Amino acid sequence: MRIALLTALALCWIAAPASAANGWWTFDRDTNLDSTLTWKWTYPPSPAEYSRSWRGGSGTTMEECEIGRGWLPAGWYAQKGHWDHYDGSKVKGRVWWIQDKTCKDGSTRRTELFIHSEETASNGQSCSSAYDDPFCWEREADYYSNGCIKLARPSPVAGFPNDLGAAHATYHDYGGKNAHGAFDPADANELYVYS
Amino acid sequence: MTARMTILLCLLAFAASACGSAQTERGARPPSPRPPAVYTVGRTLLGLPGRESVRLAAAPLTPLAGWLTPVAVPSPDGRSVAYNAWRELRDDDPALSWQDQGISPGDPLARPSIRLHDLDGGTDRKYVDGAFSLAWRGDGAIAYFKGADRDYRAGVRYVGDVFVRDTLQGPARRWTEKPDRYVVAGWAGSTLLVYRVGAGESLDVLALDGPGKSRVLASNAGLVAVSPDGTRAFIEHGPESGPPRVDLLAVANGGRLASLDLTTVDPSVGVVGYSGDWQGDLVAAASASGLALFRIIGDRIELAQTLRALGQGIAEPRFVGADRVTGWTSSSSGGAFVDCDRASGRCARAVPMPAARGAEGFPAWRRPVYNPSRPQEGEA
Repeated sequence: MRIALLTALALCWIAAPASAANGWWTFDRDTNLDSTLTWKWTYPPSPAEYSRSWRGGSGTTMEECEIGRGWLPAGWYAQKGHWDHYDGSKVKGRVWWIQDKTCKDGSTRRTELFIHSEETASNGQSCSSAYDDPFCWEREADYYSNGCIKLARPSPVAGFPNDLGAAHATYHDYGGKNAHGAFDPADANELYVYS
Repeated sequence: MTARMTILLCLLAFAASACGSAQTERGARPPSPRPPAVYTVGRTLLGLPGRESVRLAAAPLTPLAGWLTPVAVPSPDGRSVAYNAWRELRDDDPALSWQDQGISPGDPLARPSIRLHDLDGGTDRKYVDGAFSLAWRGDGAIAYFKGADRDYRAGVRYVGDVFVRDTLQGPARRWTEKPDRYVVAGWAGSTLLVYRVGAGESLDVLALDGPGKSRVLASNAGLVAVSPDGTRAFIEHGPESGPPRVDLLAVANGGRLASLDLTTVDPSVGVVGYSGDWQGDLVAAASASGLALFRIIGDRIELAQTLRALGQGIAEPRFVGADRVTGWTSSSSGGAFVDCDRASGRCARAVPMPAARGAEGFPAWRRPVYNPSRPQEGEA
């Protein structure tokens, strides 16, 4: 009887719908080109944490107060929204827009911050020029950003892993909000950037 | 000799003398480390010729611009200082998310303003509410960014327009064609250089030639400095869109006069930062390892010198006389100046008023006060 009960509980656990999970991002800054973005989740009320991680880049310098250059400041962030086909001038495709953040100097605000890759609004690749296309992931240096977190994805010209796709799928499967667009109020699924 | 010339000479004379309030924080290798000619410590303005210190009504701060633009700019006639102020409308703990603090999208968080301090009369007044970043042209014309909404709000892009007044009290004319996020950088002759901040904090340098006359001077780039005659701009490009490089551009038409691939020079340079200085044929810029000095020879750029300041991210380097370059770096106590001696190649820290306390809940920031616009009298 006890074994049957445990088996049933285990099955329920495995079959728990994604909405039962509670997830959040963490970002562990190591270098501008090679840091770690992780999606963590729990199945409340259990405190056990599960996670998947991907390589992520951020900034071109490690000075978190340098607007347009430094990596993402430390602290907790709310998510402003999530889009599958965001169509901004410099950022497109699958993106998570996160809140502005005051950096370590206590006053400078970093703004316009996203988790994103280099892809078109339709989640494709636009690789036409000889060196660097803004919506084509063709090289290591594409991990650099003006401050955002960037994830790799495959392209016709380079064989990078599909980290954006994996992170996107994991987010939706394990506790990320189903909705797309701007969130009101901000999403409970937050981002924590380690100092 | 005009009043401006007198002030300029006084500033240079002051810069050439040691500033007594400086304190060496570690290793006084170069003699007498010192702050720039004119600077702020919290609400206090220091280094003005003939004045020990001036108390401002608010602490100069540029939270939405960082050091893309000076925190305070002296007027061309030397009679006043315009500075950026910031009033918090509610607490925002950097360690916590907005949601965890009960901050909802649209909630007002702060209000920037540009203030004017009259150095003769001692008056200090709000010049433009809901505005930040300014540039003062040699003839007295002033440019600034003004938000469409006075308040900076959670989750709302702080868009607005750039306005220009021929004189302080003249009518404001809108120079930008549509609201966006702009930061005013400086004048290059009669052309106003501004940043447009886009998604992902991308930076485009725009050239505004007049009302409604806007063009992109450099995309995904930062302005290091304007040539003394105001005709050329020294531009930096980071590594995110190709090998990092610096370009020399003609302001009038954006033509590229020269370029230097930074991967071909001393690797300690790495990348260079915006908001540097140009004196004679030398350009100073922050670099990955400290400071880099570039020489402009005709239409050629060459690396002239590197100054190591390891472990210190230097911002806003300024030439002080012919021998020194100063910048500043943040610290837990609110920032310190970094003073580099070109002859020895060494840098030391200077912390004027080390016991200073900040204002309005902020640390006692130490920032240089300068006018990056060119030309300036006696320089071109």
